[in-house]
Amino acid sequence: MVSSYLRRFYISFATSILDVPPRLLAFLLFLLLLCVPLMKLSGYLLTVLVLANINALFATSWDLLVGRSGQISLGHALFFGIGAYSTALFSHYFGLPIWATLLLSVPFGVLAALLVGFPCLRVKGPYLALVTLAFPLIFVRLFFVDIPGVINIKAIMGAEFGISGLPSFLPVPPYSPYQRGIAEYYVSLLLLGVCAVALYKIARSKTGIIFVSILDDELASKASGINTTRYKLTAFTISAFFASLVGGFYAHFMRGASTSTLLFGSPTAPGSFMVVIMTIFGGIGTIYGPIVGAYILTLLPAFLREIIVLVGELANLRLPIEEWTAIIYIIIAVIFIVAWSRGIATSIVEKLNELAEIEELRKDKKKGKKRR
Amino acid sequence: MLEDLLINGATTGAVYALLALGFTLIYGVAKILNLSHGAFYMLGAYIFYASLNFLQLETFPALILAVIFVAFIGAIVYGLLIRPIIESELNVMVVTLGAAMVFQYMVILLFGSTHKTIPYLIPQLPLVEILGVSVRTQKIVALAVSLSLIVVLWIFISKSKIGGAMRAMAQDRETATLMGINTERLFVLTLVISASLAAIAGVLVTPLSVASPDMWMFPLIISFSVVILGGLGSIKGSLVGAFILAYAEESVVFLAQGEEHLRGAFSLLIMVLVLLLRPSGLFGKRVEME
Repeated sequence: MVSSYLRRFYISFATSILDVPPRLLAFLLFLLLLCVPLMKLSGYLLTVLVLANINALFATSWDLLVGRSGQISLGHALFFGIGAYSTALFSHYFGLPIWATLLLSVPFGVLAALLVGFPCLRVKGPYLALVTLAFPLIFVRLFFVDIPGVINIKAIMGAEFGISGLPSFLPVPPYSPYQRGIAEYYVSLLLLGVCAVALYKIARSKTGIIFVSILDDELASKASGINTTRYKLTAFTISAFFASLVGGFYAHFMRGASTSTLLFGSPTAPGSFMVVIMTIFGGIGTIYGPIVGAYILTLLPAFLREIIVLVGELANLRLPIEEWTAIIYIIIAVIFIVAWSRGIATSIVEKLNELAEIEELRKDKKKGKKRR
Repeated sequence: MLEDLLINGATTGAVYALLALGFTLIYGVAKILNLSHGAFYMLGAYIFYASLNFLQLETFPALILAVIFVAFIGAIVYGLLIRPIIESELNVMVVTLGAAMVFQYMVILLFGSTHKTIPYLIPQLPLVEILGVSVRTQKIVALAVSLSLIVVLWIFISKSKIGGAMRAMAQDRETATLMGINTERLFVLTLVISASLAAIAGVLVTPLSVASPDMWMFPLIISFSVVILGGLGSIKGSLVGAFILAYAEESVVFLAQGEEHLRGAFSLLIMVLVLLLRPSGLFGKRVEME
């Protein structure tokens, strides 16, 4: 009796969510995120949340390229890393202020997208995935080149340690590290909010619809008079624009850029592999899916770390925390991807739609009975 | 000096071919882009190291153990991770890359992140003289083993019944299944062969440098570059591509006087050039539009 009542309540609640305009839902979620620092979080958790915002924007930019236009790129950290490195170079060698370094780093990301995209877009499917995966791995090797008498890239780029000592947001001393953390959180949230809306608008615009048509059937799009190569390159550059912007932000957040920004990443650092996992985990091709995925998968290692420390204390072992976190994290993510290959957000939305349909049918049946 | 280049190029080429063959084989047969290929290479080297140092095995049994172990891991990766999502190319790539990273962290846990040196397969005789140049024996061993394995694989694929099934599967999956080929078993077998080849390559090459937990990336890049150069799924293409890439890289290293970092950058340059001229590689099938 009670359970059936609860079930009815659950169904009517779930179906009524669908009636709320998504715009309002997103806005409410944004308001909720605005209130997060009021919870008096620790400085560490605040850092993790900033990282979640960074990951979310990075993953969303990847989603526009791969989920919408179907151009599989497994080396998206190339743009992120270029954004981070150019920001760091401008800041370190020219001493420019933050807004200037961020703005100046974006053209480099876009330029890289044009340079990489031009040869890459001649190939399709698996070839494209492999080429894009190889690009950053090989590009990073250029940072170690040291030809005496000609150029010493190794010294300029700081080899594997990268460039450090960048100014942070709120550089004035009176602020405590905690206040600085809150400021960083708000700046990152604002960046995510503005860019996510922009990306969503692009995905829903005419250009975005053409991207999806390329994903669905490239030949048919070509036959309809669409210059598919140009649109693919557009998708590449738009995606790189946001990736390099957030890369520059990350450089200031970390106070430096290192070669890890160009690689696969790890549970606590963004990278090519991490964006892919987060997007597929959340739901590819939806724009909001990657944000959900990024939040869950960035907060996960923080909790895993606590659990591992606890287990280590209980079992009286000195567990290497980094490695265990990474192993368990990747295993969890992979299990989810294998089990729910469409992504969490997509699955939830589908489930809601299904419920609504059943509810509709039930109502229709009732009406029919009454009429009879 | 030219003899040096010749021998180095031949060895590198043979090992690259061994690596890329496994990578292209599993793609050709099962359309799986196995990004844990490099991890199998790394695991081969580390298990060989462990069985030499911890189990106190002789060189040859240690090699056999390493290959069997990696083949077993390959079968597990297929059964647990790849099989449920084999339809989605992107998910397969992500999951296998995830597996590679898990293997990397496990190696760090078990062996630490410091570099390990692995002894030569014939430790009694470190150097031999060929054509008036003294060459490290390991290079000759790597060359000989790789070449003989490639020949054996070639004969296996072109003559044996299973090889025929593999070729049939590569040509037309549906028809091959209708002819009564057991898809699952063939895929597992192919992945096992591919993983063992990678493991052998790892055991052959690692003694020339050092073993480290992040050593799986470089062989993966090499596999891509060779396979893109030769055409994905084409065995002949991978062989030719491997030697072209190896000689090109050795020449660059030879001319730039030991700038090892240029190695990878040069593969990229070659790859981009090939993509601009022939988007599906030298011997690859043109990607048809559906």
